[in-house]
Amino acid sequence: MSALWALALAPLPLTGAVLLKRAWDDPGPQRPWLILGGWSLLILALAASVPLMGPLRGPCAILAVGSTAVLAFVAAGIERRNARKKAARELAPEPSDRRRVAWRGWLRGFLAGPLAGVAALGCGLAVAICAPGQIQTRMVIGGLIVPFLWAGGMAWTLSDDKILRAFAVLASVATLTLGAAFLKGAL
Amino acid sequence: MDASPDKIAREKSKALGKPIWPKIPADFVRAMLAGHSALGLAFAALIYLVCFSGSVAVFTQEFSRWEQPQGPVLQGVSPQAVDVAVQGALAKIPQAHDLLVRLPTPDHPRLSIHGDDAAGGEHTYVADHAGRLVGEARTPWTEFQAELHTVLHLPRAWGGFVVGLTGVALLSSLISGVLSHPRVFKDAFAFRWGGSKRLQEADLHNRISVWGLPFHLVVSLTGAFLGLTTIIVGVLALATFKGDASKAYALFQGPTVKDDPRPAAKVIDVRSGLGSVAARYPDARATYIYVEHPGERGQHAIINLATDGRLSRGETVVVDGAGQILGEVGYESGSLGFRVLSAMTPLHFGWFGGWPVKVAYFLLGLGLTAVTSSGVAIWLARRRDKGRPAPGLERLWVAFVWSQPVAYAFSNFVSLFSPTPTPVATWGLATLTACLAAVFGAPAAVSIALRRICAGLLALIAVAHGALYGSHMADPAGWAVDCALLAAALILALTTRATRPQTVSR
Repeated sequence: MSALWALALAPLPLTGAVLLKRAWDDPGPQRPWLILGGWSLLILALAASVPLMGPLRGPCAILAVGSTAVLAFVAAGIERRNARKKAARELAPEPSDRRRVAWRGWLRGFLAGPLAGVAALGCGLAVAICAPGQIQTRMVIGGLIVPFLWAGGMAWTLSDDKILRAFAVLASVATLTLGAAFLKGAL
Repeated sequence: MDASPDKIAREKSKALGKPIWPKIPADFVRAMLAGHSALGLAFAALIYLVCFSGSVAVFTQEFSRWEQPQGPVLQGVSPQAVDVAVQGALAKIPQAHDLLVRLPTPDHPRLSIHGDDAAGGEHTYVADHAGRLVGEARTPWTEFQAELHTVLHLPRAWGGFVVGLTGVALLSSLISGVLSHPRVFKDAFAFRWGGSKRLQEADLHNRISVWGLPFHLVVSLTGAFLGLTTIIVGVLALATFKGDASKAYALFQGPTVKDDPRPAAKVIDVRSGLGSVAARYPDARATYIYVEHPGERGQHAIINLATDGRLSRGETVVVDGAGQILGEVGYESGSLGFRVLSAMTPLHFGWFGGWPVKVAYFLLGLGLTAVTSSGVAIWLARRRDKGRPAPGLERLWVAFVWSQPVAYAFSNFVSLFSPTPTPVATWGLATLTACLAAVFGAPAAVSIALRRICAGLLALIAVAHGALYGSHMADPAGWAVDCALLAAALILALTTRATRPQTVSR
């Protein structure tokens, strides 16, 4: 039965989305109340799921089922664009037009892949080895921040036009964290 | 109605006043977009493959039941029956190094025992309510699809690393995607179709991205962590245990039993082990048991226990050969690290909230595949708009996108009839053939043709499965999956007819 609570609570985020959509559609005087009501219902759904489905399980289930319900609602409101008129949104931001130089591409790939990975691994290792707390917690938290930092480093190095700056920061972080981890060298 | 949509939009934006979201500098957005685009393109095919296979993998238990629908279907089983089943399996595999006993759960109502024989052959026996072995399970396609998602059918260490790296790339795309689309939250409800191909795909890309963001973040982070575990633990072991990774893993294994290969006086008593565990953990339900080194003096069992209401892979308890509890790992009672680790797998696969969460994970997973597909489509449309079309790539991408449902369906269809199924080979062959279709047609035609082939195959699978097992389909999951396959076939077929959504005027 507890699995069905996610379905039973789904109308709350859905109604919240409906209120937010109304606020988005109509910039009238009641807009702040609609926004407040919409967000309140989303938070209420998360809060109500805790006693019904468990402290972590409930919010995770509501986020998954609620997102699906809201996506269906947004999809149901699909609107046909006028193909003959050029909309203002056609002036969407364009990616920066970088000069295509092979070595810059390879260097950027090296920074985003191996070097950002090594720097992220170094940070994870430093947390696992040098941070206070229980060994297993340090290892899991250290392990969990590796993909997150690697992803952040990847996003940054691929975006930053100044490759040498990215190289310097990543190389320094990798040297410092790996150095600290291997110097301490024991859990 | 004399106002155009553009005029309404302008008036609305004036009335809305100053946005509360801080304005992101245009140069920053342009640089982020360049990085987002480069990363998305570099990993597009891998991300697409991992996301599509992950969406299907949500229903691994259901596919396993569907492949062996004749049962026996069990809601529960006595410890005595489990012991009988273990003894029966040991009689068939006397040299077994270890046995994996899966107990009936609501997701997988079967009692099965898996073990390797002396020649390295793998066997999975299915038992009835009394523990009698009634047959050997054959779930080749389920195993194929699960391994495609977790290791891409590469050697385990390499496959896990590639999938983990794909998770990192996906996570990175999410970060750069949010930063490079300043209107992504402001336009959260603007879902438009038609007009320019690029804007149409952008609306699809951005709407699914923003509303699925919590799910996308969770699956990419947990997926990257699970995939990269080997390399993270390896480096950690290098720094602290002189390269001995087993010492790092031992920190998460609870009480250890010394290996002693001398023959034991009596083979391990699983029944009393389950009895001891039930007495100490009355609210928990045993879900699986690893019987290690059965028949040796160092024999012991690792029993996994699930408790309702917890987001956890379950607690793990170690019992010795006489069924006495040696201790627990601490996945549910231990420190924060244990509990976070324990939540990773169910959180990644959606195996924590029953079928509503599974369906949501499946749909959101398909949404992520659509986001990946539309990301490449946006880049191709932008090239076309700028007068640098890449028609070959456009055809190839469409063919690759639709090759996966076709290849999955084809490999499943062949597995259903073949006595010696090789789903990896049939999947690979179907993928290649579908991609070759790119040579022969325009993108729209390729897309429609592959969708129709897929719809036909799905319908054929459902009908053939019903005909093969209809008279002895003990498990309702068999019928449920057949119905779902027919529904998917119908929806896919309909998408090839109605290419445009209904007009909703504002």
